[in-house]
Amino acid sequence: MRIWLEMSIFAMALLLQPLSHAADKGGNQAGEPYDEDTYGPQAPTVWVKPVKSVIFEHRVHTMDAGLDCGSCHDDLFEMSSGAAAEKDDFTMAAIYKGKYCGSCHDGSTVYNANTRCTTCHIGVRGHQRLERAQAEKGRAK
Amino acid sequence: MNDKDVQRREALGTDRRQEISLLERRALLKLGFAITGVFLGGSVLSLVSERRADAAGAPAIGGYPYNPHYTMVIRERHCIDCELCKEACVKTNGVPAYGYRTTILEKRRALEEGKFETTFMPVLCNHCNKPPCVRVCPTTATWKDKTTGIVGIYRPSLCIGCKTCMTACPYNARYFNEERRTIDKCDFCFASRLSKGEKTTACAAACPADVRVFGNLADPGDRVYRLLHAPETMIWVLRPETGAVPNVFYVNT
Amino acid sequence: MNTHLAGIFPRTGGLEARRSTTLTLTLAFLALLAVAGIVAGIHSLVVGHEHTFGVSRGVPWGILIATYVFFVVISTGLCIVSSIGHVFGFKEFMPIAKRAVFLSIVNISAGFLVIAFEIESSWRMVVGNVVGANLTSNIWWMGTLYGFYLVLMVVEFVMLQRGRHGLASACGLAVLLTGIAANSNLGAVFGLLNGQWFWQGPYMPIYFVTSAATSGAVAIIFYTVLAYKVNGWQMSEAMKQSLHSIAKLAVLMLAIIVFFTFWRTVAGVTGSAPGRHEALLSLLNGPYRFNFWAGEVLLGLVLPLALLLVTRGRNVNVLFVATIIAMVGMFFMRYDLVILGQLVPPYHGMGLVDYPEFYTYSPTLHEQLVVVGGAAFCGLFFLLGERFFRGHLVDSH
Repeated sequence: MRIWLEMSIFAMALLLQPLSHAADKGGNQAGEPYDEDTYGPQAPTVWVKPVKSVIFEHRVHTMDAGLDCGSCHDDLFEMSSGAAAEKDDFTMAAIYKGKYCGSCHDGSTVYNANTRCTTCHIGVRGHQRLERAQAEKGRAK
Repeated sequence: MNDKDVQRREALGTDRRQEISLLERRALLKLGFAITGVFLGGSVLSLVSERRADAAGAPAIGGYPYNPHYTMVIRERHCIDCELCKEACVKTNGVPAYGYRTTILEKRRALEEGKFETTFMPVLCNHCNKPPCVRVCPTTATWKDKTTGIVGIYRPSLCIGCKTCMTACPYNARYFNEERRTIDKCDFCFASRLSKGEKTTACAAACPADVRVFGNLADPGDRVYRLLHAPETMIWVLRPETGAVPNVFYVNT
Repeated sequence: MNTHLAGIFPRTGGLEARRSTTLTLTLAFLALLAVAGIVAGIHSLVVGHEHTFGVSRGVPWGILIATYVFFVVISTGLCIVSSIGHVFGFKEFMPIAKRAVFLSIVNISAGFLVIAFEIESSWRMVVGNVVGANLTSNIWWMGTLYGFYLVLMVVEFVMLQRGRHGLASACGLAVLLTGIAANSNLGAVFGLLNGQWFWQGPYMPIYFVTSAATSGAVAIIFYTVLAYKVNGWQMSEAMKQSLHSIAKLAVLMLAIIVFFTFWRTVAGVTGSAPGRHEALLSLLNGPYRFNFWAGEVLLGLVLPLALLLVTRGRNVNVLFVATIIAMVGMFFMRYDLVILGQLVPPYHGMGLVDYPEFYTYSPTLHEQLVVVGGAAFCGLFFLLGERFFRGHLVDSH
């Protein structure tokens, strides 16, 4: 129970700040290596439907905020990447009603999905930048 | 609330103790802002906004010389850079790949601890009341319409391509269209839509986030008028120092 | 017709141009370069600048505008120095008057040739300037006045050739006023653009007219000495004395340009006026520092001033070297002025991401060919002028 308490304090401190997308470091600040089996895929998920382009990072929600896989899978999101985008109700309206991200981003659990739009909506520009960065990483390897 | 929800909330720490600490933090933050504000001679917010808002930008009732006084209000913080506006503009107005009539820029503001906040900033022709581009055109190929206030290339066959209007524009709103051999720019979709009875521009119609609000600032019943005269609204324009008196307004509501 | 032409083209008297294979080959080579420039220019008009020129949405004016400015400022300057003699009657400026008038025509023609390819639908100008005349537009005034200027200049030259000195001098005054009005409007094309802070202000028109006088003094020395060297002519005492006087004028004007440059720099650096400040920093210690320190300051001002002062403007060879250097430096001045004024992007300093804090521009092969073509055109007609007008000698009246 104590570990949960510590985790939640850490999570609150983190969520008081807008989330950063500079997810270049694999691990967290404590130096713990990022384990994809525990925390989900390291590469960010980017939805381009119904609008371009929205980012989701497992790291921020699992490793940093302390959620586990079961918190969201499979009742909020299917386990396969990009599946939500195929659904007709993957819209802001549905999110405001508590579906998908809106389950937590409701203004009381954590910040409301109708605020801080650009935290997740990285847009066409953000997406292009992400792809450029990944291409550069690929070249570096 | 199902079990999963409870679990998630527990994980994120929204129990009683945390709420108290949150409130305390908020109060402290407010106090901090207040103190800083006093030091700076007013509230922090007014200092940040007023300099850009009132100098030469915010609209004044009675100062709308056109009717309809076409205006666009940009509800900037709602922009998510989905660029549907750009796509709609290109499709509606036949804009070539090397040019644009409107685009989205990206601002970044530093927050504490190396974090930052992104704001997307749509830009387009500001259809200035004192358009610098119109003055410099040697052949009067472009002018500001006396009724609508829309700055357009109304006689493209006279455009010699000297590009002085491009250097004169404080907003980089003009480009040379190689195919039409004339300068091209946003005309608030006058040729493609408004003149055919449409009420709004292609970009405003395409925006899913209601960022771009197009309308008649001379009409008190119009939404742009109401947005720009609503209380507690911060209004600013781009590059007011050039004296161009633009008609694209940015608001924080 | 023949008698009319005979009045303009002297058959006898004056100086006989050298006829040599080298000179003929030079003429042919210059003609070839001019044609190459024109072909490159026409190609760029047909295909579009987007695909051939280095200019862009952010930097719509490139090296061709700079070259146009270079040529027309020289032309106006030549008009100014010619008028000192044959309009205002200063004897020491008489010997160069005819050459100056002729070269003024050649230089403005070269300028027009070059800008015809930078103005992307330039053929519309003929109708557009009349039908759409915009009296608030400096570029309209500049173009129209320079158009009149060219016509009046040709009339003046014909009058000079036919010995109608009264008419020529009246015409000369009209040309001078038109030229200065046109030239200051060219300055105002840049100076009256709000938001382009590097240019903005009344400095530009004043600077342009001052630069014209400087360019004129420098250019006429350069062209005169070159003409005598190329053709192996012996310089008369009167001509030497004339060049000496013009050299004194050149020293004065260069000193004034030093003053202008100094205060523009200081004013731009102090106070950090946005836009102007960044442009000046790029000149002083940024990507344009070579252009500024080596081109503008050393070649354009310091070396020519030093050479002219040390020899007191009497050594013809040194005069020649000093003026060549100064002409190169002046090209740097025009280039930096035109290009730098556009390089600070409109939304700079707003904390934008993936947005240039400074635009870049570099001329493409097409643009360079047009520039070289314009210069070759100038050189070609200069040499032909010396031949057909027999050294532009001015008889003493």
